[in-house]
Amino acid sequence: MLSLNHFLLLGAVLFSIGLYGALSRRNAVAILMCIELMFNAVNITLVAFARFLAPAATASQSLAPVSTVGQVFTIFVITVAAAEAAVGLAIVLAIYRTRRTISVEDVDLMKW
Amino acid sequence: MNLNLLLPEISLCVLAVVLIVIDLLLPQGRKSILGYIALVGLAFPAVFTLSLAGVQQVSFSGALVVDQVSVFFKLLFLIAAALVILSSFDYTRRLSILQGEYYALVLFATSGMMLMASTRELISIYIALEFTSITLYVLAASIRNDAKSSEAGLKYLLLGALSSGALLYGMALTFGLTGSTVLNDIASALAQRGISAAAVLGLVFIAAGFGFKIATVPFHMWAPDVYEGAPTPITAFLSVASKAAGFALVLRVFLTAFEPAEKTWLPLFMVLAAVTMTLGNFVAIRQTNIKRMLAYSSIAHAGYVLTGLAAATAGATSGMLVYLLAYTLTNLGAFIAIIAFSGQVGSDQIEDYNGLSRRAPVVSLGLAICLLSLAGVPPMAGFISKVYLFAAVFDAAAKNSGLYYLVVIALLNSAVSIFYYLRVVKAMYFGPAATEESLHTAFSLRVALSAAVAGVLIVGIYPTPVMQAASVAAQVLFH
Amino acid sequence: MESFSIEYLGLIPLFPLLAFVIIALVTRPLKRLSAYLSILAVFASLLVSAWALYSLVIAFLSHASGEALVKELTVTWFSVGGVALPAGLILDPLTAMMLIVVTIVSFLVQVYSQGYMHDDPGYSKYFAFISLFTTSMLILVMANNFLQLYIGWELVGLCSYLLIGFWYHKPEAAAAAKKAFLTTRLGDLGLLVGILIIYFTTHSFGFAEIEHEIKVGALSGGLLTVAMVCVFLGAVGKSAQFPLHVWLPDAMEGPTPVSALIHAATMVAAGVYLVARTFEMFAASPDQQALLVVAYVGGFTAIFAASMGLVMNDIKKVMAYSTISQLGYMMMGLGVGAYAAGVFHLFNHAFFKALLFLGSGSVIHAVHDQDMRNMGGLGGKLKITFVTMLFASLALAGIPPFSGFWSKDEILAGAFEKDTLLYIIGAVAAFFTAFYIFRAMFMTFTGKYRGAPAHDSHGSAGGHGHDSVHASASPEDELRAKVKEHASGHGEHGIHESPWVMTVPLILLAIPSLLSGLLGSPFMGMAFQSFIEKGAEVHEELNYTVMMSSIAIAVAGILLSSLVYYFKIIPANLISRPLPWLHAFVLNKYAMDDLYGWIVNSVVLGASRAALWFDQYVVDGIVNGVANLVGAAGGALRKVETGQIPNYGLAIFAGAVVISAVLIISGSTL
Repeated sequence: MLSLNHFLLLGAVLFSIGLYGALSRRNAVAILMCIELMFNAVNITLVAFARFLAPAATASQSLAPVSTVGQVFTIFVITVAAAEAAVGLAIVLAIYRTRRTISVEDVDLMKW
Repeated sequence: MNLNLLLPEISLCVLAVVLIVIDLLLPQGRKSILGYIALVGLAFPAVFTLSLAGVQQVSFSGALVVDQVSVFFKLLFLIAAALVILSSFDYTRRLSILQGEYYALVLFATSGMMLMASTRELISIYIALEFTSITLYVLAASIRNDAKSSEAGLKYLLLGALSSGALLYGMALTFGLTGSTVLNDIASALAQRGISAAAVLGLVFIAAGFGFKIATVPFHMWAPDVYEGAPTPITAFLSVASKAAGFALVLRVFLTAFEPAEKTWLPLFMVLAAVTMTLGNFVAIRQTNIKRMLAYSSIAHAGYVLTGLAAATAGATSGMLVYLLAYTLTNLGAFIAIIAFSGQVGSDQIEDYNGLSRRAPVVSLGLAICLLSLAGVPPMAGFISKVYLFAAVFDAAAKNSGLYYLVVIALLNSAVSIFYYLRVVKAMYFGPAATEESLHTAFSLRVALSAAVAGVLIVGIYPTPVMQAASVAAQVLFH
Repeated sequence: MESFSIEYLGLIPLFPLLAFVIIALVTRPLKRLSAYLSILAVFASLLVSAWALYSLVIAFLSHASGEALVKELTVTWFSVGGVALPAGLILDPLTAMMLIVVTIVSFLVQVYSQGYMHDDPGYSKYFAFISLFTTSMLILVMANNFLQLYIGWELVGLCSYLLIGFWYHKPEAAAAAKKAFLTTRLGDLGLLVGILIIYFTTHSFGFAEIEHEIKVGALSGGLLTVAMVCVFLGAVGKSAQFPLHVWLPDAMEGPTPVSALIHAATMVAAGVYLVARTFEMFAASPDQQALLVVAYVGGFTAIFAASMGLVMNDIKKVMAYSTISQLGYMMMGLGVGAYAAGVFHLFNHAFFKALLFLGSGSVIHAVHDQDMRNMGGLGGKLKITFVTMLFASLALAGIPPFSGFWSKDEILAGAFEKDTLLYIIGAVAAFFTAFYIFRAMFMTFTGKYRGAPAHDSHGSAGGHGHDSVHASASPEDELRAKVKEHASGHGEHGIHESPWVMTVPLILLAIPSLLSGLLGSPFMGMAFQSFIEKGAEVHEELNYTVMMSSIAIAVAGILLSSLVYYFKIIPANLISRPLPWLHAFVLNKYAMDDLYGWIVNSVVLGASRAALWFDQYVVDGIVNGVANLVGAAGGALRKVETGQIPNYGLAIFAGAVVISAVLIISGSTL
């Protein structure tokens, strides 16, 4: 039987993999994708919490019965992540236009 | 559901959409009208916000709250937006930035910040924060053919996304542990179940996400690079409004949701405040680019404001609000003067400020007043707000003796900061001018600078109304 | 007092403030108009100040005393929650006295500046700054609470900074401005801490309330002493007391009238004023420890600075060290409890020292040089300057009936009763004072002119390096020089007296140099002291021992100075030739000179060189060291910003993880 902890562990591992990728990759697009992975790790955690916590809570004031709050949160995260990715790709394009590279190592005009 | 409560945000978004439509209809060469429309249009949200003053209401199933805190912050954002728009007239024309998008995005960002100041529910907080951030990413990169501007955009976006990853993870943990996303319910759940290690983890990751917004050590590293590369009006906007919005969130989340975990985060913010102001000031001394110097200075000021959170009393919170307003006016004034200079001189290097007082006496005086205000010299706003904030923190030291040291560190830091602010004043007034040719400053910039400087002096000399408003607002968070 | 309402007091700083604004915004291009505006404004302030003083004096003469001589106006500046900040004005004898001093000196200095700054390109800016300074100084002295005083305090510091660096194109001026600002700020930090300690114990900024709170014991014991020493630290910086005195000599890089106004008469006296204003608080510290600190710092500064005045060759530097030394006297006077005497000396000193500076300015204006070794014999050319400066010098040296005598003597009498060591220090400093000021007078105004280009330079002309005691090689050399001077003309002909705008202020300042001391003399029943003490009966017994020895010390100093710097020239040349028997006497005199020179060289000069060295390397070194350390730390820290996105991202997450770990571990062990 899968317990909440399994899902949480999966979320944590995925988050760490995404983080590792985001910090170690040099290609800006790859970094964006790794960040997406981190968001999805969070989504798994949220959904898992929502699923397993459902019977426990009946918050009177909150948006809805707690069972759907996690899922709703997840949908918003997915949407926002898509918007972020769109803007991210546009900026990567702009970078590419001015300096013919998308390696973040070379994006260091400004420092110190 | 009461839509009236959302009128400021709705009117801003409508205004932004109207701008985009008008932009489509206008022929090239007539685009500068857009700036005026945006500026005049701000009157609507301003009136709606003022009409909400004194209202104390929660709506949208607890997601939206209108109270004195949110009204205080909303007015602050509107002031910032107005000055940023006014100081962009000349700038956008000069750097051929697409004006329709630019002004619309500034308005969207403002409405995002307003939402940040008036939510108390994690999902809404996240959405408001991202709404603001994404528009600001685009604005930071909005000088399209400029390598530095797009670099600023990329850095801001990638690091912003990373930090919102941390924020989300923290939110997920907090949600999981408390079963709610509403701040009040989180507080009661935490009080009931105690503070577990996972709760601390969630708290710290949320603090990291907010710490990124307000640029506190060690989440500050994006700030100097982005401030340097972004269009200067946007840098000004980032350094005041976006930071203040971050503080609005920090205040709500930590004083409400994490109130039961106070013992955990009080020392955290105390250390962060001390480290942040010290690092900001020390590194600022060695900067040669004035935008970068002000970036570090803004990090240092975030440290000063955080001292109020480390005290976590109503008085200190009111001090934070006053400080943020004074800092907003002052820093905007300084950046407006920088826009004026860079437009004429074409440089942001401090050495190029030599002798500017003879070439542009009025703008130099304005910049000098703002820099001295940042340094905390009376009778400017920076002085009185420092006194007000640090005195309140000192008062709280009775229950937490570490705050004595924090106030001493803050005072020493203020003394250190004089060095680098004065360096610019010295260059302007005593440096040898390359030429004696006088500089012409655009009318809009003069108006913007005069407004900011007048604000700095008025708040500095007669701060009672601001302090009263702030103190009423602070009470709301402590009832 | 009915005739003068306290609300009018607000007008006094308003006039110069308006002048500042109008000059800055409107009349900048019109030089003359700017100057007239500024002068007119300060004259208006002077009239109102005089009215205020008059109303107090009338009340005083009709035997009002104590609180009847104090008028206060307090309004709440702002008040929110627990924090209520007051704003208020005070009019009492001390403030009235300061108001009149500031406005008179400012007025005369501005009139004088019209001549001195004649061709300066920054003419309008200069008057704008002076007006701003006057405003700030007036705000400072009429504040009835620490907060307003602190605001005025910072503003005068800012104006001083702007005016020292007025000739910004001289790197020394810019450096001096920065040094002055930073050094005094070090003291200001102390003042701020002191104010905060006082506020958090007494919950008040107002002077009167704080005095009351201290009386009822809200602040007492060691903490009170600490608070007052912190407050005194501010005064140490502002009034250039040891060890924060280093900025004042450098500040002479500013225009001379500025030195007269800010760095002699008014701003530097603000420290003394601060101690006088909070005297009750100082006196309330246990065993008067705080006052003891004031007395010893003042006494040490008095003798230390005077000893350095002995070896300076730059005329303005002599005046600068003299100012430091005299401020030390005032502090010592306050410290030994001779409150009225200290304030009295401040009053007298403001006039005669402003005169000395303006006179020096007139000399510099004439010869375009500040080095006294290149002057000499100017007495005949600059008659008005010479005579007025002589008045001031006699006042400074302490010769009755000139003003300085009465106040200095009273300080010494106070020290004599309190502490013998302080009296000895004061007496020796007085001797030095008489010596150096007359050395300066002799070197500048007597003898022959040494600065001309056409001059055949031999031994005595350019000066022998550092020490003019040895300026003359032998009587024969002197004689040859004298003959040559008469035979061939020299570079003196271009020198003439300054224009009337400059000489009239000198004459007007000479009057108080002669007479102001009489106000506090026994002949007038110590009226000044009684007035300053708010009408309290002052019947001090005259200490004739001290009085006589003061006079003797002053005369001895002048005499020795004249033997060295005056008689060495004239008798040696004119009398030795026809009267050979006198030759031996003259030779003898040189033997004395040598002896004196040896003493000066090995002891006094040694000590003052050591002091100077201490100044330049240790005190400056510490100030610079701290600055460098901070800068180096900043330089190292900024390298952390590599510009690389992954590094920044790592910082975010590493920071979050480390913070969580620390909080969780420390939380679980608690």
